[in-house]
Amino acid sequence: MAIRLCRLGLVDYQAVHQLQLRLVAARLAGAEDDVILVTEHPPVFTLGRRGRRDHLLVSESFLAAHGIELIHIERGGDITYHGPGQLVIYPVLDLRRLRRSITEHVGALEELMLRLAADCGVTAVRDGRGRGIWCGGAKLGSVGIAVRHGVACHGLALNVAPDLLPFTWINPCGLSGVRMTSLARESGREVTVHWVTRHLLQILQDLLGRPVAAIDRLELPWPEVA
Amino acid sequence: MKDLSELDFPETVRYTEDHEWAAVDGEVVRIGVSDYAQDQLGDIVYVEMPEIGDIFEKGDEFGTLESVKAVSEIYMPVGGEVVAVNEVLVDTPELINQDPYGAWIVEIRATDVGEYDELMSAEDYIEMLRG
Repeated sequence: MAIRLCRLGLVDYQAVHQLQLRLVAARLAGAEDDVILVTEHPPVFTLGRRGRRDHLLVSESFLAAHGIELIHIERGGDITYHGPGQLVIYPVLDLRRLRRSITEHVGALEELMLRLAADCGVTAVRDGRGRGIWCGGAKLGSVGIAVRHGVACHGLALNVAPDLLPFTWINPCGLSGVRMTSLARESGREVTVHWVTRHLLQILQDLLGRPVAAIDRLELPWPEVA
Repeated sequence: MKDLSELDFPETVRYTEDHEWAAVDGEVVRIGVSDYAQDQLGDIVYVEMPEIGDIFEKGDEFGTLESVKAVSEIYMPVGGEVVAVNEVLVDTPELINQDPYGAWIVEIRATDVGEYDELMSAEDYIEMLRG
């Protein structure tokens, strides 16, 4: 009945996706612990369950030339970009045990991003335009989750200091004309994912109202590498 | 999120642990999600439904409900063949929030109507929710 947090570092999207699905399956098979994964991905575009291919504004051959994959996944939300310098957090949580509704969970993910931003001296806000957090009209962080038998996975992506150019190749989250920003741009400082997450454990404990303990990545049920 | 006492759990339908409801009429079972489920989800913006003729076993995922930024799976209370899907939900998914027991999602011809009798009564379901 514990919540564990694991810092994975920079890991391929598909590998962490498989890991999440394994953690969900383990949870449904009776595993006791909730696990929060903290990671960054090499450049990749992902399209949510109902995401529209036409929100990708460049051709697939253009992406291929840049070595970037487009992956369809089961989370809510539309198209988004992940890349180095973007903090990605996937809480694999049993919402029933936490007595959290889905809307409360999505709200908590936004709150987590707001606090991490505030911790860097950046004031961000929620906005009526869908979900996520915003700064001066530009989008700073996004959320998208999937729920299976009460267990949530996927989570949030907060732009710490990623290359923002690839976002201009899509309509992020399916919204046209959205400008993306980062903590680096808003704070005018050289921030890193490591620095931004220096108080992450404490902030998560506050938000979840439960102790969170760090674990090593070797303790996770990684899929076999082919 | 509402308090349980503010939610509606009619005794005319039966319930699953995953918060679907089922109502039986002969061998046809009508299926939707409970008032508790819609309240947990928040504003539903899309319903992904199966096709007529699809066959499922009890407990199989048969579709998803998408609320803002969240996709949740829904599961069959009893096994059977889909004989109708509620097309009204394609354009007005919010009906599930407004009237969860009126806004049915699918109707199936049950393989074994006996599975319906194993589902929870309103009383048992409320007991489970109180946990």
